Amino acid sequence: MSDIKAVNIHIAPGDTRPIFKQIVDGIRMQIACGNLPIGSKLPSVRGLAMQLTINANTVAKAYNELTSQGLLEARQGLGLFVSQPRQQLNLVEQHKRLDNAVQTLVNEIAYLDFEPQQILDKVSGALSKLATSSKNETGNHE
Amino acid sequence: MSNNCIETNQLTKQYGNKTAVNQLNLTIKKGGIHAIVGSNGAGKSTLFRLLLGVATPTSGFAKILGQDSQKLNSDIRGKVGYVNEEHTLPNWMAVEKVVAMQKHFYSKWNENIYQKVIGFFDVDPKQGVSGLSRGERAGFNLSMALAQSPEILILDEPTLGLDVVAKQSFLEALMFTETESESTIIYCSHQMEEVERVADNLIILEKGRLTNNSVPDEFVERITSWIVDFNGKKIERDQVSGLLSMKRIDGQYHLMVVDQNPVDFRSHLMNLGAESIHPIGVTLNSAVNAFLSKNHNVPS
Repeated sequence: MSDIKAVNIHIAPGDTRPIFKQIVDGIRMQIACGNLPIGSKLPSVRGLAMQLTINANTVAKAYNELTSQGLLEARQGLGLFVSQPRQQLNLVEQHKRLDNAVQTLVNEIAYLDFEPQQILDKVSGALSKLATSSKNETGNHE
Repeated sequence: MSNNCIETNQLTKQYGNKTAVNQLNLTIKKGGIHAIVGSNGAGKSTLFRLLLGVATPTSGFAKILGQDSQKLNSDIRGKVGYVNEEHTLPNWMAVEKVVAMQKHFYSKWNENIYQKVIGFFDVDPKQGVSGLSRGERAGFNLSMALAQSPEILILDEPTLGLDVVAKQSFLEALMFTETESESTIIYCSHQMEEVERVADNLIILEKGRLTNNSVPDEFVERITSWIVDFNGKKIERDQVSGLLSMKRIDGQYHLMVVDQNPVDFRSHLMNLGAESIHPIGVTLNSAVNAFLSKNHNVPS
């Protein structure tokens, strides 16, 4: 049996993001929501290329990007794994990402009729759900 | 040995008054999938005929695997595979008979590759060729071309007219080839979604000339798209630098431009009197479309 964790991402040709960026975003999302827990092994470059019917060099490029961002780490001869979160980003970068994400959220909801408190409640609800699911996932894994 | 599998130098082909390929200097590196894109009549098929030595250049020359395409010996010919859009096959034979015949022609026939590639398509070996669907014919041709272990495989619009299932099988087989073999694949297509998925390199031909030879993502980065409000003021095409396409919708201008630095272009638009400027995302499809349609507006 293979110990590779299935990667549940989809590629949309015709998206304004290049395909390698879609893979980077997709895997980052899978890590964030706990589908790819810390320490799990990713499909090989060829494997993911065959799964998504895309060029293997595109997958390699995405994996390189994720590795240089510290989200993935290569273990010699074993493959690619999701790395520990503390190694992933420095503080300045973390703040920049958070600001960008908040701005995107605000842009999306600016024209919906919600009170600020209702929005904040939704966000804390989603965060606590994320915390429980990732706790379960890492718990299973260790 | 050179790293290039194809090199052309001032390659030109004229048919009467019409110049199909015009002083083309094209280099294709070994390995990977190279997509050639261009409008109808851009010279793609003529280029393939010149590379294969089937047509003679009016001037200039093409080298394939280091040899002049007009003087190809059987050794080099055996290293070049070609699949055309017609998927020409002997209709009166059964699939397995065609395969048996092909094996005798090619000393480097690789049965393992043939079986793996044909496995992507649902082809019964006992079936007569005349009964194959268009997708099965395409798959059968691709399998036979790949079984010859070619160093270069040229595919002329291989997925033209295939249904979604056949197209998916075809792309999967192509991906398999890229990861499992050393072949360089040169492939022309009008399907940008396919090109975006499979191509390492995007070659654009316009009126027989080369206008792009780079990674597809790098090509998309050359193109930017903008929605600009000039507050009712009218703007002429020749006022906008690098313009590919201009449309006026709801009083706003929708512009696509090439090779413009975004910061400089913004101030250029401000100088033209822009009141509001919104950059919008560009896809490979929209970029190629704008790039190719530009030529239709320019009188030549």
